[in-house]
Amino acid sequence: MVELAVESLVHVYRQGQVRAIDGVDLHLGPGERVALIGQNGSGKTTLVRHLNGLLRPTSGRVLVDGTDAVQQTVAQLAARVGLVFQDPDRQIFAATVRREVEFGPRNLGFSGDRLRAAVDDALRATGLDAEQRTNPYDLGASRRKLLALASVLAMSTPVLVLDEPTTGQDPRGVERVGRIVRSVASSGRTVIAVTHDMRFAAETFERVVVLRAGRIILDGPPTAVFAAASWEALRSTFLEPPAAAVVGDRLGFGSTPTDATLVAALAGAGTDQ
Amino acid sequence: MLIFEGVSYRYAGAERISLRDVDLELHDGEVVGLVGANESGKSTLCLLASGLAPRSIGGTLTGRILLDGAQTAGRPMHELAARIGIAFQNPGTQLSGVTATVYEEVAFGPMNLGLPLADVLGRTRHALEMLGIEALAERDPARLSGGQQQLTAIASLLAMRPRHLVLDEPTAQLDPAGTRLVGEALARLAEEGASILIAEHKTDLLADLVSRVVVLAKGRVALDGPGRAILGDPRLAELGVAEPSGVRLARLAREAGLPQRALDLAAASA
Amino acid sequence: MIIGGLVGPIALLLLAVIVPAVLARVLGSLIRTSLLLTLPIAVSAVLVNVFFFAGGRHVLVQLGPITATAEGLSFAVQVLARILAISGAITLFYLTTPPASLVVDLERRGVSPRLAFVANASVQTVPAMVDRAGAITAAQRARGLDTEGSIWRRVRGILPIVGPVILGAIGEVEERTMALEARGFTRPGRRTLLWAPPDSSAQSAARWLLLLSVPALLAARLAGVLG
Repeated sequence: MVELAVESLVHVYRQGQVRAIDGVDLHLGPGERVALIGQNGSGKTTLVRHLNGLLRPTSGRVLVDGTDAVQQTVAQLAARVGLVFQDPDRQIFAATVRREVEFGPRNLGFSGDRLRAAVDDALRATGLDAEQRTNPYDLGASRRKLLALASVLAMSTPVLVLDEPTTGQDPRGVERVGRIVRSVASSGRTVIAVTHDMRFAAETFERVVVLRAGRIILDGPPTAVFAAASWEALRSTFLEPPAAAVVGDRLGFGSTPTDATLVAALAGAGTDQ
Repeated sequence: MLIFEGVSYRYAGAERISLRDVDLELHDGEVVGLVGANESGKSTLCLLASGLAPRSIGGTLTGRILLDGAQTAGRPMHELAARIGIAFQNPGTQLSGVTATVYEEVAFGPMNLGLPLADVLGRTRHALEMLGIEALAERDPARLSGGQQQLTAIASLLAMRPRHLVLDEPTAQLDPAGTRLVGEALARLAEEGASILIAEHKTDLLADLVSRVVVLAKGRVALDGPGRAILGDPRLAELGVAEPSGVRLARLAREAGLPQRALDLAAASA
Repeated sequence: MIIGGLVGPIALLLLAVIVPAVLARVLGSLIRTSLLLTLPIAVSAVLVNVFFFAGGRHVLVQLGPITATAEGLSFAVQVLARILAISGAITLFYLTTPPASLVVDLERRGVSPRLAFVANASVQTVPAMVDRAGAITAAQRARGLDTEGSIWRRVRGILPIVGPVILGAIGEVEERTMALEARGFTRPGRRTLLWAPPDSSAQSAARWLLLLSVPALLAARLAGVLG
C-alpha cells in the first residue's frame, strides 16, 4: 500500500496566470478515505490530476511512496493511482461491458485468472455482473458511470481517486458507491473522492478537505469540518453543511455531521420514554 | 394543460418498454416534481411531454398526449416549441454553440420564429430579467459557469413564451452554488405562476418548489399527489427516491424508537 | 521567358494578397499562417521544378546527373507565387472575416439558415472537439494506456481514443439537435436577424471590381497578354 504526499504544490495552467493550485500540502496514508470538496474552479480536479501525473507541478512535488511522480510516466503511475473521471462517455469505447472493464488491467499486464478475478470483482461491486455482454451504450447514464468506476476498480490500484462519483446516481447508486469506497479502503487502499454531495462526503469519508481558490481552507474529520465553527468558512465558498449537522446544531447537540451521529445524540438526550 | 392518456413508449431498438400506461394531467400554473430511481422513465416522460419523442428520436408511442387540447402527434416541432419548452441536464450541449453573447443566445429562439425584430428584442430582455441574468447579456455563453449556462438555457426557453416548461434534472451537473442559483430562479418562476414539470433527484430542492409530486417506478406512475404528502410518504425510500432531509431524519428517529424526537427533528429541519 | 512568366503570379500575389493584407493590418499573421499551411508543398514544388525542369538550357548548378537550370528556377518561383497567392487569399479571407458576420450575411442574402448554421457550427466545434479529445486521452492514460511507447503501442491506442471522440460527438449532436428543435430552429421560412454586418459602398464597389476582373484576367490570359 502507498503513502501519498503533496508538498507546496502550485499549478498554473499554460493559458492563464491564475494559480489553479496555490500552495497545497497534503499527506494521505494507506486505507484513508478522503473527500475533497469545494466549488467548481477551486482546484479539486487539478489537484487529483497531479496524483497520477496527468498534470505536472509548476512548483512543489507529489510523492507516491517517497518517489517523485515527475520521475515516472503516466502509464507507470496508473498502476498505483487509479483515477475515475467524471464523464463516463469520455472513456467508454469497448463493444461490451466486460471488455471495457478489462482494458485497464490488461494495460497493467493482468492476464489469465488474475485478470478474470479482478474484472469479476469490479463487475460484482458495481452491480454490472448481469450486463457483461451488454453494449455499454445500451446502459443508462447512471450505470455507464458505474461502468467507468468498475473499469478503474479492476486495476486494483493501491490508490483510487473518484471525480464526482455520485453525480446522477439515485439513493441506491449513492449507497453502492459508498459501499465500494468503504470496502476498497478496508483492504488498505487509499480512496480520494471529489464531490459536491455534502451528505455523501460526511457519511462515507473519515476525512474532509475543503479547497477554495487553490488552497486548503479546512482539513479534518467530518465532525470538525462540518461543525458549526466551520460553517462560516464553508459558506465563504458557497458550501452548505449536511442537514444532520444543521439540525443537530439547532437542537444543541454539537457537531452531528451524519444521520447516525444525530440519531445517537437524540437517543443520548433520552427524553423519549 | 398537458394530458397523458394511457401512454406507453419504447425507444427505437430497445427491448424494454420505458413508459407503461401513464395517465397524467398537468394543469396550468402547477409546478410538478417528477421523481424516481434511475431508469424509471423520468427523462423519457420529459421527452414525450416536449414532443421530441418520438418525433426526433424515433421509438413507438401508444396512447395520446394532448397539449392545450390538441394531440401533439403530427404537429411540427416549431409549433410545439412555442407552447412547451424543454431544458436538459447538460448545460453545455443545449446552447446553440453559434452565438457570441448570452443576449444572442436567448434571442435565438424568437429569431427562429421569424417574429418582428422589436418582439424579439422585447422577449429577450424580458427572459433575461425573469432569470435575473441581465448582467450576463454581453458574456460569451461558452465561458460561463455551469449554473450560469443553465440559467441561460432556461432563459432561452422562456423567450419562446411557452405555456409549459419541462426541466430534466436541471441541477444534476451543477456544483452547490450553481444548484442554488437555478433553484432560486425556479422559485421566482413558480411564484409568477409558470407551469413547470421538473425531474429532479434532489428532493430537498423540490420540497419548497412544487405543489405536486409524481413518482415513477419502472416506467409506471407509482404515486401522484400533493407535494408535501408524497415527499413524506413512507414508500418513497423503497421506490428508490431520496426523501427530503427532514423526512429522512424523522424516519430514522422513529426507527430508533424515538417517535417524540422525530417531531422535534422535523421541526428543526424546516 | 525566364522573367516574363513571373510577372503575372507575382503581380497577383502583391495586388490581391499583400496590399490588402497591409491595409487590413494582418500582414504578419497572414505570412505566418500561410507559410505554415504551404511550407511542405511549397518546398517540394520548388525542389522538383528547379532540379527536374525539362528543357532548361541555362545551367546554374550541376550535381552529378541532376542539373538546375535558370528556366527551372524561374518556373519554380512562378509555381511558388501561385501557391502563395491561393493560400494567401484564403488565409486573408479568414483573418479579416469574423465567422459570425459571414453567417449573418449569408443568411441575409437568402442562404438557408441550416446551411449557415452548419458552416458556423463546424468552425466553432473544432475547439470543443480538441477539448474532448484531450479529456479522453487523459482518461485512457489514467487507465494505463501508453501513448508514449513504440509505434505499435501507439497504434493500439487509437481506438480507445478515437472511439469515444466519435461516439461522444454523435451523442452530443443528438442532444444539440433536440435542443435546437425545442427552440423552433426547424421552422421553415425566414428567421429574424438581429443585425447586419456593415457594408460600405466602397466595399460593394470593390466586390464588383473583383468579380469583373475574373473574366478580364481570363481573357487576357487566353489572348496571351499574360505569360
